Amino acid sequence: MSKLATWARLKSPWVLHFNSGACNGCDIEVVALLTPRYDVERFGIKLEPSPRHADVLLVTGSVTQQCAERLKRIYDQMPEPKFVVAIGACACSGGVFKGNYNVLNGVDQVIPVNAYIPGCPPKPEAIIDGVVKLLNSLKPEKPAKGEKKK
Amino acid sequence: MSKKEIDMLSVLQSKFEGTSVQVRPEQLGKAEVIADASTHRDVLKAMLEADEKTAVIAITGIDLGATIGVFYHIRTSETGIITIKVEVPKEEPQIKTITDLMPGATFDEMEVNDLLGVVFEGNPSLGRLVLPDNWPDGVYPLRKDAKLDNLQFKPTPPSEPEPAGNENIVKVIVGPQHPALLEPEKFVLKVEGEIVKDVEPRIGYVHRGIEKATESRTYLQDVYLVERICGICNACHASCFVETVEKILKTEVPPRAKYIRTVLLELNRLHSHLLTLGHAGLEIGFETLFQYFWRDREPIMDITEIISGNRVISSGMTVGGVRRDINEADIPKIKGRLTDLKKKLPFYKNVYEDEPSIKMRMKNVGTLKREDALKLCIVGPTARGSGVDIDVRKDEPYEAYGEIPFKLITYNEGDTWARMNVRMDEVEESINIIEYALDNLPAGPFRVRVPRVVIAGEAVSRVEAPRGELFYYLKSNGTAYPERVKVRTPTFANIPAFLATAIGSSIADVPPNFVSLDPCFSCTDR
Amino acid sequence: MLDFWLFFRVLVFPGFTFILFLTLFCDWVERKIEARMQSRVGPAIAGPAGILQPLADFIKLLTKEEIIPRDAKKNVFRIAPLVAFSVMVFAICFLPIDGSSAISSSGFVGDLIVVMALVTVANFLLFMSGWASANPYGDIGAARVLTQFLGYDIPLFLLALTPAFLAGSLTISIIAANQYLPFIILAPWGFVLFIVALQAELEKDPFDIPHADSEVVGGLETEYCGGKLAFLHLTRDVQIVLGAALVVELFLGGPYGPVFFGLPAFWYSLWFVLKLLVVVMITEYVTCLFARMRIDQVLTANWRVLLPLSVLSLVLTVAMATYVYPMVV
Repeated sequence: MSKLATWARLKSPWVLHFNSGACNGCDIEVVALLTPRYDVERFGIKLEPSPRHADVLLVTGSVTQQCAERLKRIYDQMPEPKFVVAIGACACSGGVFKGNYNVLNGVDQVIPVNAYIPGCPPKPEAIIDGVVKLLNSLKPEKPAKGEKKK
Repeated sequence: MSKKEIDMLSVLQSKFEGTSVQVRPEQLGKAEVIADASTHRDVLKAMLEADEKTAVIAITGIDLGATIGVFYHIRTSETGIITIKVEVPKEEPQIKTITDLMPGATFDEMEVNDLLGVVFEGNPSLGRLVLPDNWPDGVYPLRKDAKLDNLQFKPTPPSEPEPAGNENIVKVIVGPQHPALLEPEKFVLKVEGEIVKDVEPRIGYVHRGIEKATESRTYLQDVYLVERICGICNACHASCFVETVEKILKTEVPPRAKYIRTVLLELNRLHSHLLTLGHAGLEIGFETLFQYFWRDREPIMDITEIISGNRVISSGMTVGGVRRDINEADIPKIKGRLTDLKKKLPFYKNVYEDEPSIKMRMKNVGTLKREDALKLCIVGPTARGSGVDIDVRKDEPYEAYGEIPFKLITYNEGDTWARMNVRMDEVEESINIIEYALDNLPAGPFRVRVPRVVIAGEAVSRVEAPRGELFYYLKSNGTAYPERVKVRTPTFANIPAFLATAIGSSIADVPPNFVSLDPCFSCTDR
Repeated sequence: MLDFWLFFRVLVFPGFTFILFLTLFCDWVERKIEARMQSRVGPAIAGPAGILQPLADFIKLLTKEEIIPRDAKKNVFRIAPLVAFSVMVFAICFLPIDGSSAISSSGFVGDLIVVMALVTVANFLLFMSGWASANPYGDIGAARVLTQFLGYDIPLFLLALTPAFLAGSLTISIIAANQYLPFIILAPWGFVLFIVALQAELEKDPFDIPHADSEVVGGLETEYCGGKLAFLHLTRDVQIVLGAALVVELFLGGPYGPVFFGLPAFWYSLWFVLKLLVVVMITEYVTCLFARMRIDQVLTANWRVLLPLSVLSLVLTVAMATYVYPMVV
């Protein structure tokens, strides 16, 4: 039965996108994933409006003070099993804004991250590659829930 | 539109002859007017009486040591910016507000209050603008003596209780995480039934402290920092910044670099407009339109990648020119993609002009009258959709725009439909500009070397970003690091338009209205 | 005495299991059509050509954690989605799929009305699930669902009477069997208007307001997650199958079609599924082609346009049937 569950989770990862203080570069590349050239609906990825419906949280941006609490709340609202992907240099470590007074340096200061996708912004191909790597890491051979993959 | 030739400088000089107000032409752009806290309103009143198109571009607050400078940058229907400079003592920074004369200056004053602590007497809405709710009191980041390590953040204040009153009013909170918004901002809509009675914006979720950060990086590093204020209009930010530095250094940028910069700027405008036109489709439930627009936007990203190596943030500008030349062998590829896009434009134009479901959702929605647009100092396609013919490319040509022919697009209806059609027509104009620039690319060097240390001075510069007029003020102090960089982005100026048009509309009209103003909050918050 | 044959028909074919898989299949068809119209590919890796995608979605939702908001009305919150789904499936069981329906072999007088009533009950349960979720978006979404389906139920019912009149009976199986010439040819205006009213009942573009992402986030589904969300989604999908099946029965001649060899029941089921797919495609094309109307425009369209037109359609059909058709047919 759990093989069936894993298969279903791999084939149907629903995604919630949250911008925690980004310049929009990564966000437009994430939205571009839904468009005909990249079309991630092939993988069963759907962009969901509510945190309660999503399995994967895509976070962009270097997490400003004002957003930190919201990010934590959204993460808490998502039902298990859930995964977090940090997209872009800012989400990984603060990027070009590292050290600014209103910025926490990276998403992993607030919530646990499962995959880091560097780039400024990463090309949509890189984002797809990162998400696919995350999904493959869930297969039974390598139990990697919660393990960081760079 | 006829431009009345009002000589603002002679008006001011004659009016304030013999008073403490000094008018200095040819300083800081067109002119600077030295006033003080008791006379700045009189200067502004004089300018408003002389010219109805007077508008506040930005209010810069700058820490000058013992005093805090409050600079009002004003635009009129003539070319050039006039700056009114006022200084207030640091211990008691108080100055009278100008929001009764120019309602569009509300946000500017709130920002100077938030980041520097200047109190604007008479401004009804002073409060946190860009800093978070739990920011410690008394710490003003843009002051030179602000201590920003080990900040003691206050506990987050609880959300305020429902005021006793009309029970029919429901508070609908839009954001910070909301499918309609690509970015986090909070708008509290007070809704009665389906009609919006009030809108309270809370911005600042994307405030990354960029203006302060520019002061601790060299000029070249700042180009990369400033580009990332907004990924969508990144080339405009970079070009405006390098233009101000070049004005201080009095550098002569080679013509080839100017043309290449124009190409990069227009590519920015193209991809941004196509983005908005598609996003508008998503907001009104027209997913098919969204997919088609973004499919046809991809070749523009390809062109940007061919020229600069990156799809989004092109990093093409540098002080003194551009970083890379355009390869002559690539030009046919670029023009081929542009020609393909041009062929599809009549179809899209037809959709936005005649498609019944779009007209149903966008006609007479969010109407902004011309007088309101002028009073609220609105810029960009939002203003051009209401018949106001301002466009920095025509008002104060920069880069190669003075040499390239193109049309200024205005529509008079002032509603969402008009604003989207302005953008639709500008797409075609942008393609024409790029083709002209590529056909007439002058030979020669594409950059000149500039010194690392910039002499002391100040400069202002404006660029027409996709969303409107982008303004930079730069002050240098003779070192390799800038003293102060002030950025005023177009969405910052346009938010009052959204507030004014949303009140009284139906809640279902709020998303299309919002998208038609094309907000970019990473620009707004910096 | 246990009637195994009845259990088989109700639970497996053409009852619950068949309907469940038909629903998942129609969901896949819809997603593929929408993707192709938007120049995309659509689901592609779950099973061959992505055909197992809806099944994967369903199973994945069942394996998620169940979260119940503290302020929600817990019993309603838990039960409403399941009951809505069951009522919809129950309604389909009245429709003849392989020559006779799952429940009875010949139907009974008035079962058309029973089916329409069950649809109304199911929609009301959807409203209750949104109302019970203690979320402002859930409340707004639920209110919109109620406004919309209550309004459009009336023209839908009037239009359903058109084929009833032509066949002279309120029993679905008789209406389906009496179509020597499918009623779409005898009353095309009824067919077109019924499709429009159906778009509104099914809450698809241009009547998509209760699920408007950009305005009400998730609508009535906002707080739901896990298994209950799976059943809410299934209820919507089953409703589409039910609506399409009604169109097939009332206007397209039901499951009856040429039988070439072997069991008639097999051929009838095949024709039923094929005609169902045609209707699903039509509704999906309409969805892709239009933007979403505002709620006040939806209400205007209903009360000022669709309702009078449906009355007119009934009058026209009566006139044609009494005077014109006896001479021609």
